[in-house]
Amino acid sequence: SRMNRLTGAVPAEQYLADTNVLFYLSDAVTQLLEHKVEYTQFGVIRFFAEYFSSVKNSNHVLFREFSYITATPHNRASFVRVFWRCYRQIGKSGELLSALEYRSLLQLLCPDFPVEVVQNAARIVVMGDALDCLMSFSDFLCAFQLQFFYQEFLDALLQIYQDLLAGKSPNTVIVPTSASVEQLLSAAADDTEREKQQTDGGVDACTLAQCVDALCDRIKHRYHPSRSCMREILQQSPRICYHSFLMSLAKDESINQSIGALPCKAELLIDPEMDQELDKLIAQISVSPGSNSSGSAVGALKEVQRKASPRRNIHHRRKMEVESDGSTEETDSSEN
Amino acid sequence: MADKEKRRAGVTSPAMSGDKASKADSDREFLTQMGVGELLLGAILKMVEARSEDPIGFLADHFCNLSSVADSSGAGGGGAGGDEEQREQQHLNRALWHLRLAHHSHRSAFSNNVRVAYDLLNHSDPHGRSSDAAEGSGGSCTRPPTAARDGGGVRGGVYTQALQCLCSEGGVPADTSAPLLHRLHCLDHEAVPFDVFRQGVLTCAVFSDYIRQAQKLYAEVCSPEEGPASLALCQSVLGSLKDALETSQGCLTNCSVNANTNVHPCLVSNVKAIRYLEASVKVSPHQLSQAMAAAQTRGPAGHMDAKEFENAAAELFITHVKVVS
Repeated sequence: SRMNRLTGAVPAEQYLADTNVLFYLSDAVTQLLEHKVEYTQFGVIRFFAEYFSSVKNSNHVLFREFSYITATPHNRASFVRVFWRCYRQIGKSGELLSALEYRSLLQLLCPDFPVEVVQNAARIVVMGDALDCLMSFSDFLCAFQLQFFYQEFLDALLQIYQDLLAGKSPNTVIVPTSASVEQLLSAAADDTEREKQQTDGGVDACTLAQCVDALCDRIKHRYHPSRSCMREILQQSPRICYHSFLMSLAKDESINQSIGALPCKAELLIDPEMDQELDKLIAQISVSPGSNSSGSAVGALKEVQRKASPRRNIHHRRKMEVESDGSTEETDSSEN
Repeated sequence: MADKEKRRAGVTSPAMSGDKASKADSDREFLTQMGVGELLLGAILKMVEARSEDPIGFLADHFCNLSSVADSSGAGGGGAGGDEEQREQQHLNRALWHLRLAHHSHRSAFSNNVRVAYDLLNHSDPHGRSSDAAEGSGGSCTRPPTAARDGGGVRGGVYTQALQCLCSEGGVPADTSAPLLHRLHCLDHEAVPFDVFRQGVLTCAVFSDYIRQAQKLYAEVCSPEEGPASLALCQSVLGSLKDALETSQGCLTNCSVNANTNVHPCLVSNVKAIRYLEASVKVSPHQLSQAMAAAQTRGPAGHMDAKEFENAAAELFITHVKVVS
């Protein structure tokens, strides 16, 4: 971009298209229209100042709908970061949670968060479909980040992998006549059978690498992990199975860095400021005799949440008042 | 969710039936009434003009600045005579904010912003409500030069303070920028004309870039595990830098001679361009690596630390800056 700046050659349309700034402007206007009355008093300029400040410091995804938090790479990274900041205390306590429990935590931040994403993330951590299998926070977080940030890529990758397992060439275009759809369906049924037999064997890593490369050509570069990382992983053994490929991607430090939402794995659970805050809280609890919530994850959670969103703007506050169902009561009480 | 979709659709497509249409109408009316269209248009124009690399951060700063302007002009009405110093500081902050908007390589955007900043500082008398209003509307790019509006010019003290801030915000340590500021310095009571102001601001902006590059250059030369970089290497790099600076400087003096003898301006700029190219060849990676390789075999022994390197590089730059007045 320094080059661009020196030549001054980027046309305005191109510049605007390269950024997601028009998306945020239109969302800001939609938000403004939804809460006309409050913002007329608050001041429209201040509303836009608040809106873009919160986009800048990644708090804008709090309590927003799933379609919003996945709309841009920045939103995705912001949501991963918010999730981490809100719940890392769980990781520190060493508590293990199931996929459904993680989903509940996610729904506190995004009310319509779909279970499929959580399920897929859990499948990266533990093989198979065990929704009640317990996972550590950092394992889940790494897998969740990969799944959430690259969901479209991973969906396409799974399709390719299954085609390869079934011995099909994954890049052939199938014209969907009714006959071929039937064939496809029966083939899919076969796949699941064969998959069970072949999962451990995996597919030829070199072929998969070629397919992955072709897939990257079709996807915008921010929406797939870096080619060189994937190539490196796929070069390590002649055959690879889907699960272990995803595991390696989830644990890859350079992919983590390029997403830019989380610190390196060693520092995931280090947070002196929060520790102090919690120590203070625990000291208070142990002084007051009526309290019974000490040590429970939920007690800690409330505090963690209060801490995590100091700059929550009035829009968010309002939103919680409106949608005061069971899940937001928790955060509501933390307001006080 | 569904409701939201509806509203979003209502904003964009005009023709709709009954309920939705009236909703869209009232939305549009609301936006017009609140001046949202102009507000956003102003913001987008500013952003596109600056081609900021961080558009979200740019918009956040932009709207925060606008709202602080709105706040201060609203609140300032009560105690106008009160705190002149604080007002001056506010004007300075706002002027600096304008100067930060566009990189100096976007010459026309940068020049516009320098003009806005100059006007702001020039009018920073306690009753200078007019500059607030003009700035608040976001229409800075079409304003005519207003240097003659109240005759004076920016006070020397304010000018010097602005340059200091620019350098320190640009990541230049105070002791490195001090010799430069000494050359650009104006006396507190002097009235600084626009040209001098612009030249000073531009010099500080370029200097900040230059020092950052010099710091990076040192980091390249030095390998952290071996402690400070070798004196020989540093000297050869600095030598190349000096050579390049003198080449491009030669261009400036040549050009002013040419300009005096009425040579076609196109030719002048060609000569300039050629000298800049020559200068940049002298600091090209290839040339540098040759110089460094030569230095490694037969240079003086010893080391040079980052600060010494920075000072030496700064001095090369500063000797080419003319003393003001």
